[in-house]
Amino acid sequence: MKTIKRYLRLYRVLIVQFFKVIMQSKVDFLMGLFGFFFTQVTGILFLYLVFEQIPFLQGWSLEQLIFIYGFAQIPRGIDHLFTDNIWLVAWRLVINGDFDRYMLRPMNVFFQVIAEKLQPDALGELLVGTILVIHSCRKGIVVTDALHIGLFFVSILAGALIYTSIKLFFASFAFWIKKSGPFLQVAYEMADFAKYPTEMYAKGIRFLITWVIPFAFVAYLPASYFLGRGGFFGAGSSNVGVIGIECLIAGLFWCIAYSVFQKGISIYESAGN
Amino acid sequence: MRRKLRIYVPFALNELKTQLSYRGAFYLFILISTFSSFISYFLWMAIYGSTDKVMLGGLTRNEMVVYIFMVYVTRSIVCISISDWVSEDVVKGTVAMNLIKPMDYRLSLISRALGRSGYQFLVPSVFIWIGLELYKVNVLGMQVTGIWNILLYFISSIMSFLIFVLFDFCVGMIAFFTNYIFGLLMVKEALLRFLTGELIPLSFFPECVQRIFDFLPFSSMVYTPVMIYLGKYNTAELGFVLARQAVWVVLLYLLGSLIWKKVTTRLVVLGG
Repeated sequence: MKTIKRYLRLYRVLIVQFFKVIMQSKVDFLMGLFGFFFTQVTGILFLYLVFEQIPFLQGWSLEQLIFIYGFAQIPRGIDHLFTDNIWLVAWRLVINGDFDRYMLRPMNVFFQVIAEKLQPDALGELLVGTILVIHSCRKGIVVTDALHIGLFFVSILAGALIYTSIKLFFASFAFWIKKSGPFLQVAYEMADFAKYPTEMYAKGIRFLITWVIPFAFVAYLPASYFLGRGGFFGAGSSNVGVIGIECLIAGLFWCIAYSVFQKGISIYESAGN
Repeated sequence: MRRKLRIYVPFALNELKTQLSYRGAFYLFILISTFSSFISYFLWMAIYGSTDKVMLGGLTRNEMVVYIFMVYVTRSIVCISISDWVSEDVVKGTVAMNLIKPMDYRLSLISRALGRSGYQFLVPSVFIWIGLELYKVNVLGMQVTGIWNILLYFISSIMSFLIFVLFDFCVGMIAFFTNYIFGLLMVKEALLRFLTGELIPLSFFPECVQRIFDFLPFSSMVYTPVMIYLGKYNTAELGFVLARQAVWVVLLYLLGSLIWKKVTTRLVVLGG
């Protein structure tokens, strides 16, 4: 309990420092926010233009696809906001030897990595996601009983944890190969596949994004549960189990990623002179 | 002319050599860059599968396959983001070095972009292009693209390249006014993906929006060469779109010169 309190206090101190930096450059902050916001908006415009031509896409309506698209942004945004510094581990900190500073302080190393930075650009993704989800709720296409709403929050947290785990896992390679940025990027960009119904992909790709780099469990599969669609476990089944599997995957991937990270720290050698 | 070549050709060759020496990471980036093409491919196949219409936005299902992958090829030889380099030069202050050398900064950037373009044409565009042609003939049962279309495609692509880099040079100039253009470059990226027809063929837009696009340089960057490749223009239209591209090259060249003159008079470089 005492340690938790200590870490919470430390987090607050570190984040306050960070906010001071942001306040120095408000324009940068707004442009970054707008950048991410705008990128997502073009994705929606694309769907609009396509649905000018067709009424349904493999049984999905425009409104449903927009919900999936919006829902996918929320776990992504949460992870992006809090753990963006993991990218620097992959690209720079290990190869430069800057990782030294985390090793010297008497604090949990992972905690230090993520506490060093909040990524305000992520608010663009969260904003788009929230707007689209609220929009879909008002259209009445989302199931909004107590169970679904409760699981909604469980699902976005588990989803964010899956994102973090995948990032941490690939970033940790840097301890062995010094620079793992490109690998991390490949894995991270796979998330784009899960913004759309995954049935449309070839079998191999579908398997990959469902079970190997499980972004389907972050975006498409839980989203289809909230839309009241079933069928993941065979015809006629409800998809409530999907949320269960999502949590299981989140827990499992987190344990794997964190132990790889710990192993990496133990063999970390500083660079330079 | 000889002298000019001697000055600027090394920029192109250097870029080519740099790219060749960092191949490992580059292969992974190639993989990433094909992701969005494959997502579009599956998405469009699902879209065509959901309708009885043969044509959507003036393209048949098979033509759409060609469109998606030719966009990839065209993009990798046309869209070389020199504004990244400009902002890097400005932030590091190395732009000062470029100003005191007896050469044109813009021309050196364009030469460097040409090197990058050549490299990206070799790895992997040319393979994707050949793969596409084979797929087209063997699986889709379409005709091989005629030599005339290919020739026109390359002429058009060269102009597209010039339009893109000249435009991007103007965008890069913004780096002189603000230090953080990451957000801005992202907006540019998203906007271009949309307006150049990369995300969706411009023929899907409502009629009135397409009229507006006619007066913007973006459709000349990617959409025009790809449509030429698909043989979608008749002779009169061909002359028109090629002429329009040429006009944009000239206009953007003049605009870039003007901005450059304005910017260099107020440049402040920190450090030494």
